[in-house]
Amino acid sequence: MVKAIIFTLAAAALCVGLFIFTELYVGKQFDEFSAAVETLYDKTENKTANREDGFAVRTLWNSKKENLHVFLPHNDISYVDYWLSEACGLIYRGNYELALAKLEVLKEISKNLPGAYKLKFENIF
Amino acid sequence: MALVFIRTAIIFFTLLLIMRLMGKSQIGEMQPFELVITLVIAELACIPMADSSIPLLYGIVAIVSIFILHQLVWLLNLWFKPVKNVICGTPSVVINKDGIDPFQLKKNDLDVSDLVESMRGAGYFSLDDVYYGLYEANGSFSALEKEEKNSGSLPLILIDLGKPDKKNIKKCGFDEGSFKELLKAHGAKIKDVVAMTVNGDGRTYFQKRGEKYRIFDIEVPEKW
Repeated sequence: MVKAIIFTLAAAALCVGLFIFTELYVGKQFDEFSAAVETLYDKTENKTANREDGFAVRTLWNSKKENLHVFLPHNDISYVDYWLSEACGLIYRGNYELALAKLEVLKEISKNLPGAYKLKFENIF
Repeated sequence: MALVFIRTAIIFFTLLLIMRLMGKSQIGEMQPFELVITLVIAELACIPMADSSIPLLYGIVAIVSIFILHQLVWLLNLWFKPVKNVICGTPSVVINKDGIDPFQLKKNDLDVSDLVESMRGAGYFSLDDVYYGLYEANGSFSALEKEEKNSGSLPLILIDLGKPDKKNIKKCGFDEGSFKELLKAHGAKIKDVVAMTVNGDGRTYFQKRGEKYRIFDIEVPEKW
């Protein structure tokens, strides 16, 4: 009986710990990625973005997504891959107008994606 | 992750409620909450296994959530009797010393033919072979048997909770008129009768609504 209660409390504590860690970790990863995308957006708007800037954001995202796969559905992560690749491709070619549109989508995704998995009333139902 | 826990808890309690509402005729040998766990846990384990786009952690957290909920329900059952009655249900005494209790039968979505079937499964072929018959919380049937059984031949159900079985009535040699006459002689109409069975020797179990059952003999054209 005591053993069963201890197991239950331990499992509950582990779950709560994991919930808190996930919220903080995913939020932090997307905050950092969002800031990088914001910088790339500003540079693209000023038409000063180049191949290296795009490459830096992609490297940052690649390092983050390895761990994010553990916490988020993989389809959501591939959306970010898709839009980031398109934006970088357009920046390489110097097509800043179209790249801005893609980066706008990317900004929205990186802002809203962590929120879709947060403990909110609308997400429960 | 907390989202998975809450969604799992909602599905768990919804299923539990539905299983309880379905009554004892819908569950086998398990307690309602055990059945819910069996149904849910298989699916929870399968989804992340089959769909690689879902992180495995989602399935693990959901299964651990089920474990925590199971332990909670178990502890509540152990510590608070009223909670146990709500979650697991209570035994329903469907046969007492006065005969069949139609209220308890209806409460569990059962009729006399279901009761007779359960009794046959437990080895009793006549409704008056037992002093008490009850459906346990896990849906199984238990009975306190009489010292002497009257299972000489298989009884046929003529009336089941006020509904006549025309085929069996005919088999016993009655037409509609003569059957109503027989009931009239015992001071009842068809809709007033909870149960009426006749075995091959003409031994009749007759119970009017709100009264104790009676046993009498009638003439049957052929034995079975």
